[in-house]
Amino acid sequence: MDTLQYALRKLVTGIPLVLGVTFISFVLMVYFGPDKTYDLIGKNATPEQIAEIRADLGYDQPFFVRYGDYLRELVTLDFGYSDSTGERVSRILARTIPISLALTLPGFILGNALGVLLALIAGFFRGGLIDRAIMAGAVVGMSISFLIIIIGFQVLLSSSYGLNYFPVRGWEVYSLGDYLYYVTVPTLAIVFVSLGYNTRFYRAVVVEEMNRDHVRTARAFGTPPAKLLFRNVLRNAAIPIMTRIMFSIPLVVISGSLLIESYFGIPGVGKVTYDAITTGDQPILKAVVGATAVLFVLTLIATDVMYKVIDPRVSLK
Amino acid sequence: MNATTTTEAAPAPRKQSESLWSKAVGKFLRDRWGMASLLVVLVYLGIALGVWAGLWGTDWNTLTPTINAEASAEHWFGTNRNGQDIFERAIFSTKTAFEIGLVVAILSTILGAVMGAISGFFAGRWPDEIILWLKGVLDSIPFYLFVAAVAFALQGYAFSMHVAMVATFWTTTARLVRAEVIRLKGFEFVEAAHALGVPELRIISRHIIPNTTHILLVQATITFVSAIKSEVILSFLGLGVKNGVSWGLMISESTNEVTTGFFNNFLAASAFLFVLVMAFNMFSDALQDALDPKKTG
Repeated sequence: MDTLQYALRKLVTGIPLVLGVTFISFVLMVYFGPDKTYDLIGKNATPEQIAEIRADLGYDQPFFVRYGDYLRELVTLDFGYSDSTGERVSRILARTIPISLALTLPGFILGNALGVLLALIAGFFRGGLIDRAIMAGAVVGMSISFLIIIIGFQVLLSSSYGLNYFPVRGWEVYSLGDYLYYVTVPTLAIVFVSLGYNTRFYRAVVVEEMNRDHVRTARAFGTPPAKLLFRNVLRNAAIPIMTRIMFSIPLVVISGSLLIESYFGIPGVGKVTYDAITTGDQPILKAVVGATAVLFVLTLIATDVMYKVIDPRVSLK
Repeated sequence: MNATTTTEAAPAPRKQSESLWSKAVGKFLRDRWGMASLLVVLVYLGIALGVWAGLWGTDWNTLTPTINAEASAEHWFGTNRNGQDIFERAIFSTKTAFEIGLVVAILSTILGAVMGAISGFFAGRWPDEIILWLKGVLDSIPFYLFVAAVAFALQGYAFSMHVAMVATFWTTTARLVRAEVIRLKGFEFVEAAHALGVPELRIISRHIIPNTTHILLVQATITFVSAIKSEVILSFLGLGVKNGVSWGLMISESTNEVTTGFFNNFLAASAFLFVLVMAFNMFSDALQDALDPKKTG
């Protein structure tokens, strides 16, 4: 009951954040955004026709009425129709988001799991050769651009100049075999790009925990390394680790899939967003920005509530 | 403090007053990897300054009839599908990278320092609340979409990418500065300034911000790296560099070449970018180690 009350209170504090995000994206994309009037009318339009189109688009309305319309669209999840395909934006999103999740989730999970594992190993052998080798690898990983990784993996694994084991483009998934066939190279790219950052972050967390008295005591009592790392270190480091994972979910799903999908030609929400950016498809961009912001704020709240579940010491104030 | 060391009873005189800075410089000079990475960064800076002065990289846009040529004495890295010399383009792009990196790093560090100092100094009061809210809002918008939105709003304006990066990158710096300022506020020198009646704005600018310099320096190097890495992806998305050439534009034009087996453009741009980012990352780490008063030796 306490937890529920806490969650509701947090939900209320999230409202100014959502209002801020929607306001900024409205001002940038709609108010100062491109004027679509002349894309929609034919040649030699009369002033009446122009005025009619502008009224349809809501350009004759005052600023706050238009902002209110945008908020209403967000609440009702009704963003109108795509400029380029004419399909309902909500239907496009419903169709493409599952694809993006299926595409990015394996890499996201593996990238974090491997990061934690490497961080535990590096932290355990702190200052030693293994630690230094892992951290040097992390810096190298951090220094390679995502785009270079994507192109590199594609050439090495999917083209006739390399191993040619996997498809260059596309997403025709009807079975588990298909799925593995199409998801492998993007997953490798996602793991590779996130592993360096993850390992560095998690190592700092692990090292801090390793320095605590209770870990030293456990060590003195001869706790075997695996048990020490998983029970004494990892469980106590759960909060910063969870925070990082939760916070990166909305950004990874949108930003990560943006590049991967546009490069591999996978019809997920990232590809849709990429096309919307390049063609200036406002309804889609509005929907994606708004939805991501709401998702981010919800994640923020969920994370706060989860602290309580993970760690009973956190007080609900 | 000097008074105590010059009393008669003082033991062997200390060689020099050891400030954070002299200690940091000493530590940095002893850091072999740090010095090596600084050297690499300086070489790149030299290349960039040379391009800026018109000494080299002047032929980056010249078309030659040899298309997709292999590396040769005339074209060190070969030519791209337009017949432009890849080496010249990679060299010229160094200037572009420094332009973006320096502009974004300097502006967002200044903005982050000011916002962080205000928010930390007035912690818990309304200026802090507003800045925290603004940071939360900016952090909630996915970066690439924000850049796209800014590019929409500033259509045709060459600096829209810089504006978008500065607008998003300052938040991390501000968060760190805010925490440090809250810590500094409790120190005696700030209390003393208050007691002497120094105006608040002056306390912030003369007494508090200078004490966060070590954070700002490290953050500026991190922002520099983020800026040139983001440029690559933004240029690929068509939101980046508009006039001139950059490693990002080279990589995105190379996507059409790698499918037909010409890797020179891709490899040249990737190698230039990787070495600079790697050196800057290591430089940033060494700087952080040198400036961390908790680490000794």
